[in-house]
Amino acid sequence: MAALSEEVLLVVKRVRQRKQDGTLYLMAERIAWGPEGKDRFTVSHLYADIRQKISPDGKAKIQLQLVLHTGESTNFHFSNESTALRDRDAAKDLLQQLLPKFKKRANKELEEKNRMLQEDPVLFQLYKDLVVSQVISAEEFWANRLSLNNVDHSASNNKQEVGISAAFLADIRPQTDGCNGLRYNLTSDIIESIFRTYPAVKQKYAENVPHNLTEKEFWTRFFQSHYFHRDRISTGLQDIFSECAKQDEKGLRSMVVQGVKNPLVDLLSLEDKTLDEGYGSNSMAPSTSSANKTVKENSNSAIIKRFNHHSAMVLAAGAGKKADAPNDQASETSSTDGNSRDSDFFQPPVKKVKIQEAIEYEDLHMENGKKTVALNLKKSDRYSHGPVPLLPQQYTTSQDIINSVNCIQQEIANYKPCLTQVMSSSTASSAIAALSPGGLLMQAGSQQAINQMVPSDVQGELKHLYTAAGELLRHFWSCFPVNTPFLEEKLTGHLEDMFQMAYNKFHAWQTRQMLRKT
Amino acid sequence: MKLNIEGLLVYFPYDYIYPEQYSYMLELKRTLDAKGHGVLEMPSGTGKTISLLSLIVAYQRAYPLEVTKLIYCSRTVPEIEKVVEELRKLMEYYSKEAGEKNNFLALALSSRKNLCVHPEIVHANIIVYSYHYLLDPKIADLVSKELAKKSVVVFDEAHNIDNVCIDSMSVNITRRTLDRSQANVETLQSTILKIKETDAAKLKEEYRRLVEGLKEANVARETDIYMSNPVLPDEVLQEAVPGSIRTAEHFVGFMKRFLEYLKARLRIHHVVQESAPQFLKDISEKVCIDRKPLRFCAERLRSLLRTLEIADIADFSAITLISNFATLVSTYSKGFTIIIEPFEDRTPTIANPVLHFSCMDPSIAIKPVFERFQSVIITSGTLSPLDIYPRILDFHPVTTASFTMTLARTCLCPLVVGRGNDQVAMTSKFETREDFAVIRNYGNLLLEMSAIVPDGIVAFFTSYIYMENIVASWYEQGILENVQRNKLIFIETPDAAETSMALEKYQEACENGRGAILLSVARGKVSEGIDFVHHFGRAVIMFGVPYVYTQSRILKARLEYLRDQFQIRENDFLTFDAMRHAAQCVGRAIRGKTDYGLMIFADKRYARADKRGKLPRWIQEHLTDGSLNLTIDETVQLSKHFLRQMAQPFKQDQLGLSLLTLEQLQSEEMLQKIAQIAHQV
Repeated sequence: MAALSEEVLLVVKRVRQRKQDGTLYLMAERIAWGPEGKDRFTVSHLYADIRQKISPDGKAKIQLQLVLHTGESTNFHFSNESTALRDRDAAKDLLQQLLPKFKKRANKELEEKNRMLQEDPVLFQLYKDLVVSQVISAEEFWANRLSLNNVDHSASNNKQEVGISAAFLADIRPQTDGCNGLRYNLTSDIIESIFRTYPAVKQKYAENVPHNLTEKEFWTRFFQSHYFHRDRISTGLQDIFSECAKQDEKGLRSMVVQGVKNPLVDLLSLEDKTLDEGYGSNSMAPSTSSANKTVKENSNSAIIKRFNHHSAMVLAAGAGKKADAPNDQASETSSTDGNSRDSDFFQPPVKKVKIQEAIEYEDLHMENGKKTVALNLKKSDRYSHGPVPLLPQQYTTSQDIINSVNCIQQEIANYKPCLTQVMSSSTASSAIAALSPGGLLMQAGSQQAINQMVPSDVQGELKHLYTAAGELLRHFWSCFPVNTPFLEEKLTGHLEDMFQMAYNKFHAWQTRQMLRKT
Repeated sequence: MKLNIEGLLVYFPYDYIYPEQYSYMLELKRTLDAKGHGVLEMPSGTGKTISLLSLIVAYQRAYPLEVTKLIYCSRTVPEIEKVVEELRKLMEYYSKEAGEKNNFLALALSSRKNLCVHPEIVHANIIVYSYHYLLDPKIADLVSKELAKKSVVVFDEAHNIDNVCIDSMSVNITRRTLDRSQANVETLQSTILKIKETDAAKLKEEYRRLVEGLKEANVARETDIYMSNPVLPDEVLQEAVPGSIRTAEHFVGFMKRFLEYLKARLRIHHVVQESAPQFLKDISEKVCIDRKPLRFCAERLRSLLRTLEIADIADFSAITLISNFATLVSTYSKGFTIIIEPFEDRTPTIANPVLHFSCMDPSIAIKPVFERFQSVIITSGTLSPLDIYPRILDFHPVTTASFTMTLARTCLCPLVVGRGNDQVAMTSKFETREDFAVIRNYGNLLLEMSAIVPDGIVAFFTSYIYMENIVASWYEQGILENVQRNKLIFIETPDAAETSMALEKYQEACENGRGAILLSVARGKVSEGIDFVHHFGRAVIMFGVPYVYTQSRILKARLEYLRDQFQIRENDFLTFDAMRHAAQCVGRAIRGKTDYGLMIFADKRYARADKRGKLPRWIQEHLTDGSLNLTIDETVQLSKHFLRQMAQPFKQDQLGLSLLTLEQLQSEEMLQKIAQIAHQV
């Protein structure tokens, strides 16, 4: 596995693991550790397997703990007295950058597995029988399934962008550190959220880090800036973010200037005729010039603006690229023309549709559409997981059933007895008798008898064992032709064990049944 | 379906009908039969417009000599467009059912740039336009004065009609107005000089016309061809223009003197309030201007502008304003007040003198309409209490009715939250509105609701300043951050374009499932013109009682006037006004029977009978004793329950209950039920 071509990103010496000195390697796809003086790794984790890393602060020992998806954890102790802290932080920072990249991949795989299990009850049962009872390992179980399915689902798995939480800034509540300082905890997710929501900050970051500022300094300044504290008015101090505020302001303005597409929310064209200047009882609107506003009022309206801007940006970041398809026609004109007869030609379609939507009373119309059947759920868990069917079945949808019922209804309605070919009553009754249960033509009763004799739970268990054995056989046959040493080992080594285990399991079940009978 | 409304065949372009629509048409027909005026309140979303149109069009066809025209006035451009669209639908139905090409001419007027006196307006059967075209004397004179007497006028969304009336008659004069008027006067003067050299005959002709007086107009009015105009008083019509302003130069000189007088009046250091007679007395003492020429000012200026063939009247808006003011102040000794303020209350250091000539009596502007047209229908979703409108508009309706909404499921849930979980009373009352606990409780309410209400929530505050302050303290307390965990926040600003954008983004966020909160202001543009149908508004929260700012002198004067003239007590009017705005706000969320929404009144004062009783009947009847004075927790519990119920598929069991077929409608039992829907006052 340890191919030579692997790129080593960081090497930290004098790292202890299980009280043994060694060297920690951070590579492109995995983190590994080997004891001193030996050239193989005793610990090796793919980044994709790592759920989180914890670096407890304030302990006497300087440690880095990795928690895996499986729940296991590994501790590394940095023991080089002089540089321990620096070493740990270096490793930590690198991990912080690397992990998110793999996290998505890992999550996707997990999600995929989860989805398959949920969608396919038979597979789920198999999984329970084979993996949970440790007949074969999870990896083996998935090995030849995922690849098959990946092809099918690749289309639907087109990476869906995750939206941004509107409250991501709230998540970085500062904590006081006891002295006179504040601590902000930033994660890579939050940083990404900030960048996606405020491209201006991203730009500043690109411009300044790492040439002028370190990453830490950059964020420190960010949190100190007037920009982050949106109630403060930027006073044009030496603040690299004051430009961002201006850019935001510009962005907001351009959004406003663009206008709205939906004419029903366009407040500017709401009123047909505003009163002429000078008329009206309170046309003396409070002057909006900032000159005679108090500082407090200014800061209040700044907050309000920022909230609107923030929400709009979050929304835009979530919508991705598809949002930029301006509807030229819609923005073209929003006022009606005077003559209603011509208006068909002039009304932009969006507007017409919106207005028609607004005046539509759907319930006043006779229903023409398909009648839908309301789903009445008595046991919702049965609905979401489904009864565990033993064999894959061809389901008929409710629409199919309704259609076929309709079909039959129609046929019966149109049924005309063909009077010339009618049977005599005695032949008819004998035919009915022959077709009734127990009749001449219905002698398949013996099979039914077994079905009824064996209790359903026993049947179920037997079928589980059967499918589990079938799965093992499938593994067995998939080893042929044996053309790699790995397959040979699988065949001779643990497949045999597995068969043995499956057999034991069956045997145990058999004895249990026997015991129960007697 | 075709309906039989007391012997009138009505084409109704739908397969089913709501019982209240039938009831509404019944009352409407009775009003038209009696040739009288009506006040009708019916919740929005119950198909008021189509009922109105169906019945009146049917009436027009059946009795073409009794009713010749329908004048449909609405408030906003989208509303007008909706009416046109519904009308189109009705006409399509007519041509389909009756199989005849309809010869109905409908005309919609909107936007100033399209404002033209269309010759067809006289011939059109239906005219749809904004209130102003009928109520604002300046426009009405151009557009509407020739409309036939036998017309039916409908004011839809009329809950604010008194304010529209008052606005159209009130004038504010600042230094800037005076400066611009001065410039106008100078332009006039130079134009007169020029014309005198080139075409003196024109001015002579005008002079001759003025000696004759405004006979033509007078004849027209007496013979009922024209609607009267409040800015053109009867006296003016019967007399010749007084000699002192008959020649163009004299008139310009007169206006100069008048402007100088106004300038002097604006040079003050304390607030002055006086009546119109006091003002006239003062002007006559100081600069010897009589009442009579003042009264002719508006007409005289119009004549002059016509004679000088000035194309762009908009340039002369300032001097037109002044002349209108002159005519109004000398015509009405009652119903107006003059207030001169040296500065804004908020900024006492900055001199910005304003002369408010403010109308206190909405009936002055609307009087010509009531007098001229045989039936005027005032209708809206919120007109409660119904009896107050006839009083303040000074007319006598033959029908006054409120209709309830028949519902198969209770799709609205009004709740009054009076206390926080800490039992501190929740109220926007002036004394406690800055109280930390109140603001925090309001914040908690919003936070809790944001966690349980799906999609959109709209919250209204009593005023913009109040909202700013609360948003700032919520921000400081970290409440908004927590709200953001649940929904995006959008906030109305004084800038209409900015707010439009926020609104659209709000809808987008509701649409894509993220959910959003819109913080907005009662009496603002959003509360008056934007509907929040279905998921755009699953809950409306009204923070506080939206009383108007009571410290304004204009309002005080108006309240005094109402008390003296109409015996309406100040408090009654203020509460009425606050409650109609509150009802407007919460009513934004329910736009039909398939819609549903919470209406949360967050102020303990709503629980009182005098407030509650002023809500529209269709809201009031769902406000049970169990939903008054709740704590936040209780509100959340009730809301959760309501939302869970509403989230169930809406079974089509409306039929026969809140939705009728023609057969069901004709059953005796149903007709009895329908008779109870209309609640006569």
